[in-house]
Amino acid sequence: MTFAEETGELRNPGLPGIEEFDTLIYGSPPLAYPAALSQYAIYNTPDPAYVTGRINVSAFANLGAATPWPFTNTNVPLNGHVCIPRGRGPFPIAVFAHGNHNPFENSTPGYLYLCQLLASHGIIAATIDVNFLNGFNFGENDARAIVHLEHLKQFRSWNNTAGHPLEGKVDLNRILIVGHSRGGEAVGHASFFNWLASIGPVILDGSAGLGPYRFGLSAAAAIAPTDRQFVPTTGPTVVPDSYFIIHGSKDSDVFTFEGYHTYERAHAVDLANPTVSDGKFKAMLWVHKANHNQFNSVWAPETPPGVAMPRPSQEQIARVHLGALALAVLLDRREYFAVLRDHAVATAWDPAGTELVSQYQNPQRIFVQHNQEGLAPPVVSLPVQGTVAADGVAAARQLTALVGGAPTTTITLRLAWNSAGTRLLLRVDPATLPAERYKVIALRVGQSNEATNTANRDQDFTLEVSSGSRTAAFRASSLHRLLFPDPPPFGPAKIVMQTLRLPVARLVECGVDPSDLRSIALVFDRRQTGVVYTGDLQFTN
Amino acid sequence: MPLPEPTKIAAVEVVAAQPTEADRAAIAHMGLKEPKAVYVVKVRLTAKPPVTSMAWALYVGDERVSKYWEYTDGIYFVVFDPQFFVTHKGKRLRFSQNDTDFFDTDAVLAPAPSVAESNAIKLPLQADVLK
Repeated sequence: MTFAEETGELRNPGLPGIEEFDTLIYGSPPLAYPAALSQYAIYNTPDPAYVTGRINVSAFANLGAATPWPFTNTNVPLNGHVCIPRGRGPFPIAVFAHGNHNPFENSTPGYLYLCQLLASHGIIAATIDVNFLNGFNFGENDARAIVHLEHLKQFRSWNNTAGHPLEGKVDLNRILIVGHSRGGEAVGHASFFNWLASIGPVILDGSAGLGPYRFGLSAAAAIAPTDRQFVPTTGPTVVPDSYFIIHGSKDSDVFTFEGYHTYERAHAVDLANPTVSDGKFKAMLWVHKANHNQFNSVWAPETPPGVAMPRPSQEQIARVHLGALALAVLLDRREYFAVLRDHAVATAWDPAGTELVSQYQNPQRIFVQHNQEGLAPPVVSLPVQGTVAADGVAAARQLTALVGGAPTTTITLRLAWNSAGTRLLLRVDPATLPAERYKVIALRVGQSNEATNTANRDQDFTLEVSSGSRTAAFRASSLHRLLFPDPPPFGPAKIVMQTLRLPVARLVECGVDPSDLRSIALVFDRRQTGVVYTGDLQFTN
Repeated sequence: MPLPEPTKIAAVEVVAAQPTEADRAAIAHMGLKEPKAVYVVKVRLTAKPPVTSMAWALYVGDERVSKYWEYTDGIYFVVFDPQFFVTHKGKRLRFSQNDTDFFDTDAVLAPAPSVAESNAIKLPLQADVLK
């Protein structure tokens, strides 16, 4: 824990910082936008220093023939809005991209509220025009990723241009890409494409106009993303960079929490090398009552009145949590990782009464149980050695689509009990579990809406950790609420697991020696009946 | 609120057209002989629902169409290899949002028009096909 965390000195990251900034438009004029597309005419008068070229995305996408764009897919513009802090820099950069929407409405300005926040903290923040890929289409999210990367390339070019106002001002090793909806899926592809030499027939060395990229991406952040609409020839995209996702329970567009699958694929355990980490983190925030469109300030809500939280509340949540992410990964304000690790740190800054579920996986971790060995009865995961005993609790690994929608490839452990006092007991060989090297025990667990869980009541149990003769017991609810699933607008309810983080220091306070840890038990003694799903149990930081 | 359902298909038409430069590059990358024509499969819809991010993947039989695009009356996709129409002859067009639950349509894949080699030069541009 940092000094700032210990002393409660974290400041609300959703509030403006002290940096002054300018907001500019950049674009590729002249383009003869017809009257029906008059909202895009603003890009015909960019700041004179910020005139851009065009790019050829024809290898990836066609433009909707039902929208009268004044250009083709061989010369689409690089248009956007950018908020630039005053001062010498260099400043980190965040670039936002919208998703699919009516192309006759310009979606780009919808993230200016976030760009302005980040710029006030000393971050160059842009929101880009990808509207020409919008429409009643499918499979074009590779093109969205390419457009996103080409905008980064534009900023690199300005940074490297002698005499340009941005010369030397862009910190190209601190980049955050953020996308919403299909743009959220696309940031995952962009993270993947960033280091590729080619995509199919398209060489990304600049010889044909696209690439090279190889940016220092600090993280990719997805707001209510889709998943697998575009699938690379190598299989579903696995995001190689640190990954953050935020999604609302009342989303009535991407109503199946597609991005959960992206999250699960990212930085997953490597069964051949289970102790090896790729050095990246991932974090998730599930927001009860948030819908899809209100993350974009210009999109009308897709939900009927009264279904979702008010727009200002949803924007406040976006400011707080994306602000914390940006401060943590772009400005080295590492104390803001506390918000990613545990959303409760932000309770005072989120709208009163907001219900959230969060997950966090630190790069440093050792799994005690990850459940990915197969659908056989649960085991302690190698290289940790031990046994698992289910005492009165039905423990079954399942390939259950916790969030509905597409089939999952991630196994979860379903635990069901019908009387109090049942338990799942993991006995471990302390010689194989170096728990003392880590700061917390982290358990992902969430309740379902099955009948044995009482509707709208938090689930609860006791976590018991023992070393030799000393045992420490903690109520799960003392670590976090395990919320009953929020009813979705349609489709199946989502079971979203909460990461419970129990500090190892608290075990030590209770006399438990982490270097001699013998067992971990989930004791179902707080509710007479129930069903929970667990993802993984790990020692981590 | 009810689960969304896909829109209805009014007709399927296949039109031979000239390949674009991007088509030629993709065809070469796939190791196919450069064809004189590509095939624009126009799927006319009875109505176009509002644009959303969640999408209906289009299947021909069991094969997912990797990309499709919008034109005034519906959606279309481009086929490079005429063998596609042989393999999927008479297959039903289907929609799915999750690769598990499918909505069959009444439409089947129309056959590809024959393209005489000598007539290829007279084929329309794809942009004209979509007007």
